[in-house]
Amino acid sequence: MIYESSSVHVTLAGVVIACVIAATVFATLYWMLHPPASYVMKIAAEAASELERMVGSIIVVFSPEINSAHMMALAVKLARGERSELLAIYIVEVPYTLPPDAEMPEEERAALDALGAAETIANSSNVTFRAETIKARSTKQAVLDIAKREKADLIILGSYREGKYSGAPLGRTIEEIAADAKCDVLIGVEGKHGTLLIDEGGGLQSAAIANPTEE
Amino acid sequence: MASTPKPELRRSVTPWGSFSWGYSDVGADIFIGLGLVLGAAAGATNVAFLFAGIVYVCIGLAYTELAATYPVAGGGQYFVLRGLGDIFGFIAGWAVLLDFTIDITLFAWTAIDYLGQLIPVLVGSSHPWTHFLVTLAVIMALCGLNVVGVRESTAFQGFVSALDVTSETCILCFGFLFAFRPDLLIHTMRVDWPSPEHLMLGTSLAIISFVGLESISQAAQETQRPASIIPRTSVALILTILIYALAYSNLALGFVPWHPIVDAAGHPVQFWQIFPSTYPGGADNQGKAVALLAAQVPYFGALAAFYVPILGAVLLTISSNSGVFGSSRIAYAMSHTNLLPSIFQRVHPRYRTPAISILAFCGLAILELIFAALPSLDPMAVSTYAKFFHGEGGLDFLADLYAFGAATSYSFVFLALIALRLTDPLSPRKFKIPLNIPFTFRGERVEFPVVGVLGFLGIFSILMFTLQTHPLGRIFGPGWLVLGIVLYFIYRKRKRLPVLRSQRRDWRKSQVDILRNAGELELMDEYVANVKASDERRAQAAAP
Repeated sequence: MIYESSSVHVTLAGVVIACVIAATVFATLYWMLHPPASYVMKIAAEAASELERMVGSIIVVFSPEINSAHMMALAVKLARGERSELLAIYIVEVPYTLPPDAEMPEEERAALDALGAAETIANSSNVTFRAETIKARSTKQAVLDIAKREKADLIILGSYREGKYSGAPLGRTIEEIAADAKCDVLIGVEGKHGTLLIDEGGGLQSAAIANPTEE
Repeated sequence: MASTPKPELRRSVTPWGSFSWGYSDVGADIFIGLGLVLGAAAGATNVAFLFAGIVYVCIGLAYTELAATYPVAGGGQYFVLRGLGDIFGFIAGWAVLLDFTIDITLFAWTAIDYLGQLIPVLVGSSHPWTHFLVTLAVIMALCGLNVVGVRESTAFQGFVSALDVTSETCILCFGFLFAFRPDLLIHTMRVDWPSPEHLMLGTSLAIISFVGLESISQAAQETQRPASIIPRTSVALILTILIYALAYSNLALGFVPWHPIVDAAGHPVQFWQIFPSTYPGGADNQGKAVALLAAQVPYFGALAAFYVPILGAVLLTISSNSGVFGSSRIAYAMSHTNLLPSIFQRVHPRYRTPAISILAFCGLAILELIFAALPSLDPMAVSTYAKFFHGEGGLDFLADLYAFGAATSYSFVFLALIALRLTDPLSPRKFKIPLNIPFTFRGERVEFPVVGVLGFLGIFSILMFTLQTHPLGRIFGPGWLVLGIVLYFIYRKRKRLPVLRSQRRDWRKSQVDILRNAGELELMDEYVANVKASDERRAQAAAP
């Protein structure tokens, strides 16, 4: 007997049994709630754990040839969910006939529009956002250099603009970036101008609404 | 035209959900079993629980292996059907149906007993009509809710289970810390050791503290990764319930109450002594033993006295509802395999619930309630009960049948386990009961489960104890089985189905479907590979 009053009886056996009961119940339930992962769960867990590495730093690429506006909202959602850093870049390709720092007012104006819209989307979601306009001889090389400088985890590219066919399905620049980048590249190809939204009777009208810039 | 895919049960039951499904059924049993066994086995209550507990561990392991190997709704009757054939599948299912209907009445009855701890007007001995009518109202309400299709949510079940696990652990820890005397336990066991007949009675009643593992198997079809999760939840449930049963029984025998208990003459009595029917109010006390013990635990008892009766009543009502739901589900599964008429598959046109099954088995539960309550309601019935049933009635009658139904169905489950080990060695068993004897049977390597034999002997001895010591159980239990077998013969004859033999079924295809639907794709691949290898071996052996 360790302690005894008129109504309390504390014994060594009682203390040991109480501790064993509490420990066993707790350990049993803990073991039950932590079963080994299955094969598919392991794959899912690995993918989830890689997510941060995949999207820690994101670059969204714009250029006169690459239209990434429709991917910007997705990039912002990814960045918000994973607290990534988001960098939107607009590449102005300077022809070899001009000096590297030549003034190109039309392209620079287009860059302001594209990056302004990107910033507006980013601000609405409160993510860490930067924007940069870059003049370069080659869009591909500029994107790869920026990705290296920023230690980017993901490059997001939109689709190749219509009417500038260069012999490759996605556009040569996009394919080259995807081939040579040292990080993941996400290419968002726009649907066939709202085809999925077209009902059987009003296909042309819906297509025109879905793609007002096509004209 | 595209066809609509057949709707399937969504796999949304998590490990805790699976545990709480079983716990809300088995966990409630100690609320009933403790008082009944203390009343019957006196100083050997812990021994009765230990023996029943060992058998229960064997039962639990058998259910775990079978539910992980065949993760389908249907539970024990499906395993028996598959292992032993249609007629035995029917008998096992019919015995489980008896258990489920008793479950409805017994748990509703004791839920009111627990509330009687706080609301004196519900105490059965002093207000039998109120007790009867409120119990009847609870059963009818549960019946109505199930017909309309309202069940307690899994989240609510999980919450109540978590609360109860915490509460029971606290009661035991405080009890052992501040109110347990080992010398008193030893003294009680030496001085108040019961007669062999009372020990057998106590042991057969102790098994009812472990009934309900069926629920985990029932939910197998809705459990995520059942072959992996069910073994864990089952083992955790077995261990938790075993700890509680052994701990409560030992604590009750060596318990020094916070406030001394005295009998009518003012003499102090031990805690366990307030439960035999000879003690004034003993029958009432049997129905609320955990609440009485919790209220007498030092310090914690001040709080427990208020909430444990409510928690017990809620848990017991959930368990009663499991009986309503489980009986209709078992009947549905049995009619699906042509063991019961197809009327039990019919669903209500508006509520989409098996209303006929629910009404039929709730009706049966109400009949059981009337039979159990009659001696307390009508003084004329007392002499009849005394003449034919040794004066049994009330809780004893329900407990008798509960023990009989459980022992019968569990006996068949052990036989099915052994049969399936021999006839279906190709099905991958992610959990296998230990202690097996390997040998070759019909050209296949099989493992004979020693624990299955030990478990069968244990549960069969409890079945014999039940028949030996329960005057009502030995009449109504076998009577229920005989009635069922007669109805089965008539039904099968009318449907022109084999009566004693089994219907032909493609178990191989069925097993592939079961594993695919369970999402156990690796096990499905393993099974297909096993079957292929077995076929090749047979072809080579048959070749000249």
